[in-house]
Amino acid sequence: MTERLAARPSTGSTAAMVVLLALLATAVWAFADLRINVATFVDGAARAAEFAERTFPLDFPPPGEILRLCGQTLAIVVLATLLSTILSVPLALLAAANTTPARSARFGARALIVVARAVPDVVLAIVFVRVFGIGALTGVLAMGLHSIGMIGKMYADAIEQIDDGPPTALRATGATRLQQIAGGVLPPVLPAFVAVGLHRLDINLRVSVVLGFVGVEGIGYAIAESLRVLDYQRGIALALVVLGLCIVVELISGAIRTALLGRGERTRFARKPAPRNDEELGVDADLTRDPRLRSAAALVEGLVSPPWTARRISSTAYGLVTALVVVASMSASGVAPLELLGALPRVVAGLGLFFPPDGGGILALLFAELLVTIKIALAATLIGVVLSLPIGALAARNVAPSPQIAQAARLVILTIRGIPELILAIVFVVITGLGEVAGAVALGVGAVGLLGKLVADSLEEVDPGPERALTATGATRTQVFFAATVPAGVRALVAHVLYLLDTNIRAATLLGIVGAGGIGFYLLNASRVLEFGVVTTILLMVFCTVMLVELLAIWLRGRF
Amino acid sequence: MSPAAVVELTGVTKRFGPDVLGLDDVSLSVAAGEVVVLLGLSGSGKSTLLRHVDGLQMPTSGGVRVLGVDVPTAGGRELRMLRRRIGFVFQQFDLVGSRTVLENVCTGALGRLRGPRLGLPTYPRGLRREALEHLDRVGLADRAFQRADTLSGGQQQRVAVARALMQRPEVPLADEPVASLDPESSAQVMDLLKTISRENSLTVLCSLHQVDLALGWGDRIVGLRTGRTVLDLPTDGLDRDQVMAVYSRVGADASALLTTAG
Ligand SMILES: Nc1ncnc2c1ncn2[C@@H]1O[C@H](COP(=O)(O)OP(=O)(O)O)[C@@H](O)[C@H]1O
Ligand SMILES: [Mg+2]
Repeated sequence: MTERLAARPSTGSTAAMVVLLALLATAVWAFADLRINVATFVDGAARAAEFAERTFPLDFPPPGEILRLCGQTLAIVVLATLLSTILSVPLALLAAANTTPARSARFGARALIVVARAVPDVVLAIVFVRVFGIGALTGVLAMGLHSIGMIGKMYADAIEQIDDGPPTALRATGATRLQQIAGGVLPPVLPAFVAVGLHRLDINLRVSVVLGFVGVEGIGYAIAESLRVLDYQRGIALALVVLGLCIVVELISGAIRTALLGRGERTRFARKPAPRNDEELGVDADLTRDPRLRSAAALVEGLVSPPWTARRISSTAYGLVTALVVVASMSASGVAPLELLGALPRVVAGLGLFFPPDGGGILALLFAELLVTIKIALAATLIGVVLSLPIGALAARNVAPSPQIAQAARLVILTIRGIPELILAIVFVVITGLGEVAGAVALGVGAVGLLGKLVADSLEEVDPGPERALTATGATRTQVFFAATVPAGVRALVAHVLYLLDTNIRAATLLGIVGAGGIGFYLLNASRVLEFGVVTTILLMVFCTVMLVELLAIWLRGRF
Repeated sequence: MSPAAVVELTGVTKRFGPDVLGLDDVSLSVAAGEVVVLLGLSGSGKSTLLRHVDGLQMPTSGGVRVLGVDVPTAGGRELRMLRRRIGFVFQQFDLVGSRTVLENVCTGALGRLRGPRLGLPTYPRGLRREALEHLDRVGLADRAFQRADTLSGGQQQRVAVARALMQRPEVPLADEPVASLDPESSAQVMDLLKTISRENSLTVLCSLHQVDLALGWGDRIVGLRTGRTVLDLPTDGLDRDQVMAVYSRVGADASALLTTAG
């Protein structure tokens, strides 16, 4: 920390500065070129009034129907996420440098993960609707396979971060490779695995709404149906239900994640706990001196199973609830495990349709539209940054003027996170009309949910040492913020912003589907008319763009 | 080249990349029942030597024979069977922190079991009972169902010893087993290692940092410097200064030492 504050700017960081400024300039140009300005919104005001008129009073379906729709959506999302985690574990073990059996296996697994991430779930859903028809199975497979792109990568990263001591110790006992993995690799990564799965569950819940538009059952499907017949009263009411559902699920999964990883370990987990003194250890009180465990007595009784302590009861309860949720999801969605297995060969056949790539005679047009998508993503990122910095800073407990303000700002972020981007896009399409502006503004506002949280979290994680030192010199709160908190956060911010740009390019592609401009429209179109070769071409174009952004992020990371 | 040698290294050289030499032409023969202590500055090659004995690393050149097995040419299964008979205690204990103490001890029996195991109930009852006996042996039976990372360093190392005992080792190896411990825990762990090896007349290879501990336990002391053996003498009649010379930073007298030794 202190070394970095003292570091002189090198030529490398000057180049990085130039690149960042160029990126910023391009974003500003994109923003202006898309004509995102007050006039658009003034025009939109009239339309918004009309929109309000057609939306209110909201028309909620009966509670029973709401519960049924929510149950259906949750069931599909749970099964999809479960499928994805189950497939991701072996894939991640192959992809991680410290567990892979061979270099070629590692490369193959990494490639599969990248491909899974590159093919959007919506596209998969369109294909699977062809193969399996409208229903739950389509959604489970589409989200389940696409999620491997994120879950598999994060699992592999988690595996690569573990301390290799315990697996080596098992190797030294004569354990096989598989025994080393089960005994020495899985235990330390298990909490992270569950946390990543829960995180993806939140994301998939939002995604499921989009999938409703291409024929996946559940609440998204009901929204799509309502909007198709311009029944905004019902459509927006259902959108509010989704919002509530997202927030509830996010709160539950967040609580479980915190319980698993602890507050301070949101972003990283400890490599190796330092050996500590006996006194300062928070040992389960029932366990320390169970009289039955007094050695001799224990041996006589042959007590070789752990006693039922509060901790064991609660972890068993967690396990039972999870099993119950899975079984309930299977019965609610009507997707049986065997059916899933049987579907996999047909999935592979379905994916075969995508080859070879094909320009469909509109390659020039596609490139022009790709540019529009990139412009949308850049403008959205700019909007997102401009909105997220103040909101995120206010949400950080060590920066906010008062705890109440921090809480309020966190609530704003949580609410925005809860709104599926698609709903935002629909609202802005209504307000600003079809086109790029709606897409950019929807993504920009939606970005606050992600970037605002990242900003707040990184600010809170900043080493409090220099801050305290400055406060001790009598610096004001603002002085402390700019002199100590900001420099430490800049590095993280740059990484987050590029990550946001990356997600926005992908998301901007998908939003084209609801008429928010860019190449996404052609993606949807090509899927609808079964020109899967064109779909592949578009996906490759988007993929290359995203890769360029990721390379840029890696290059910048070494320079800050 | 005594026929009774349990561990036999002949001219072992290990290179890590073009200019890093881990071991440089090391020859060493350990007879059954002998306790050999390895001494040397950090980076002198102690861990590398021990890992070669266990087949965790393979020599760039030279021969490694342990318990009649030719390590460099041994197949995967043969190596696993060999490691099962060896046993290894590491400086950092290397327990699986999130699992119970008893499960950690049970992992010492993995070499005897088929298939992967995750969770205490996946180990046979008889095996768990055996593990509890070993835990009792190291004085920690009452900690059996705690998470391993809730123990102090000294306790963790005793659990690691119990895990090695679970293998019923013939040639236990220990790599600076007390380097991360406070003096009191060190004494406890060292006592444990000494008693166990003496009671079962085991052949032991152990690297240490403390000359006094080495003189008090070893039958023989082997000094390493930059991957080379610079001392190899029985402890009987060895004086402290001779041993301390291993640690002197001047390399010139290394060969002189060997000649006096021979
Ligand atoms: N896996 C490795 N890769 C590269 N160099 C290594 C590796 N293991 C050990 N070395 C090097 O080999 C030498 C001996 O290391 P080591 O056996 O760990 O010494 P000691 O245990 O005596 O401290 C050191 O120079 C060390 O840097
Ligand atoms: Mg060492």
